[in-house]
Amino acid sequence: MPLYPQQRINRFEKNFSAYRLIIVVIISCVLMYQDYQKNYLPALRVYLSASLYPVQYLINLPKNFIQKLNTNFSERKKILQENKVLKKDNFELRSQIQQVYKLESENKRLYDLLDSQPKKDNSYIFADIIAVSPIAEKHQIVINKGSRDNVVIGSAVADSNGILGHIIRDQIFGSEVLLISDREHAIPIEIVRTSLRSIAVGIGNYNELRINTLPTNTDVKTGDVLITSGLGGRYPEGFPVGTIKDVINNPGESFLEISVTPFGNLKTINEIWVIQPTEVN
Amino acid sequence: MNNQLRNLFFIWSMILLSIILTVIPVPDLLDQYRLPWLKMTVIFFSIFNISLIGIISVWFSGLILDIMTGGLMGENALILAVLSYLSYRFRFQIRVYPMWQIMLIVLMLLSLGELISLWINGVSGTMSFNIYDWINVGIAVLVWPIFMRVLEKMQSLFLE
Repeated sequence: MPLYPQQRINRFEKNFSAYRLIIVVIISCVLMYQDYQKNYLPALRVYLSASLYPVQYLINLPKNFIQKLNTNFSERKKILQENKVLKKDNFELRSQIQQVYKLESENKRLYDLLDSQPKKDNSYIFADIIAVSPIAEKHQIVINKGSRDNVVIGSAVADSNGILGHIIRDQIFGSEVLLISDREHAIPIEIVRTSLRSIAVGIGNYNELRINTLPTNTDVKTGDVLITSGLGGRYPEGFPVGTIKDVINNPGESFLEISVTPFGNLKTINEIWVIQPTEVN
Repeated sequence: MNNQLRNLFFIWSMILLSIILTVIPVPDLLDQYRLPWLKMTVIFFSIFNISLIGIISVWFSGLILDIMTGGLMGENALILAVLSYLSYRFRFQIRVYPMWQIMLIVLMLLSLGELISLWINGVSGTMSFNIYDWINVGIAVLVWPIFMRVLEKMQSLFLE
């Protein structure tokens, strides 16, 4: 049977019909709303991302491999020197920790005396970074430990210097981490010198956080150290976050504009710890 | 049947290639300049070879991109479906245009995609205007003639 021009056109009409477009648009809107609200769809997203995890791993394999190669072939002299420094550091830290045991037991005893809630202890899971979000304004990374390794959504993530972010999505074999420098991120902090509590928000810059909620008469100085306050329950208490780089007092404004330099290397992350609270009696 | 299978393999390898180009790690210098490869591929096939794709397959490819980039699920899927539909609707006019007019149309389509993305970001509360997105749209339009030739060449190589 010969195909008439009209029929030839209509052959693909079904694939591109307006009804399909409308249906697809509606489904997308529902998906976006649900993903934004995070109430029904996490499971679907978890399985989809888990199925794409191998692809992601493969794509990032060359970069990660080259990085590993670089560290493996770095000079022997450098390694020896590093070893020396690490030994010294280890010795110092060990001698300091001797006092910590005593303090910890004392602290626990005092808490018991006060009859307050049981103190939370932390467990640490070591993880490697796999991928960095390709979108410039999204400060997200993917790590290689997920719910298969008992990583829980909401756990804090830190490197040896300070807090980096927290886990927002599970991918079973991996998980997605939102960094503290992301625009959508805010972290409850405490200034060590004055025990003043506030909130530091990300501004989309890897080297800067900002505090916008302290009135102009607050006692803050450049160089003050910030730690996590533990309020809000997401971040454990007492981990280092950053130092205050700059305090700007704009005349006529009722709040200070404080910029903070984070301790963690947000731009060049390699190995990280996932910090998870575990109840101890 | 064999031919259909080959078509299917060809189009999905093209889509996967575009997704990989979008998310592959590159040096910091190039990191800002990621072209919207998947949008370009979808626009090309919706204009010049409609037998290979449809709205549904385009939508799924967008969903894969959303999950790989960690974005809002459905954002790119929605944008791609709309762009694909528009390109399909105007394909007869676009096909006979000279190259500079095709480039103008591509500029309009890609800008529309960026606008929808801005709108979605605004609704979900993270409105951020990134100048590099628009620079990349400009670069994408400039490289469009080369991109088109390459895809045409690939088509003639792998398809009958």
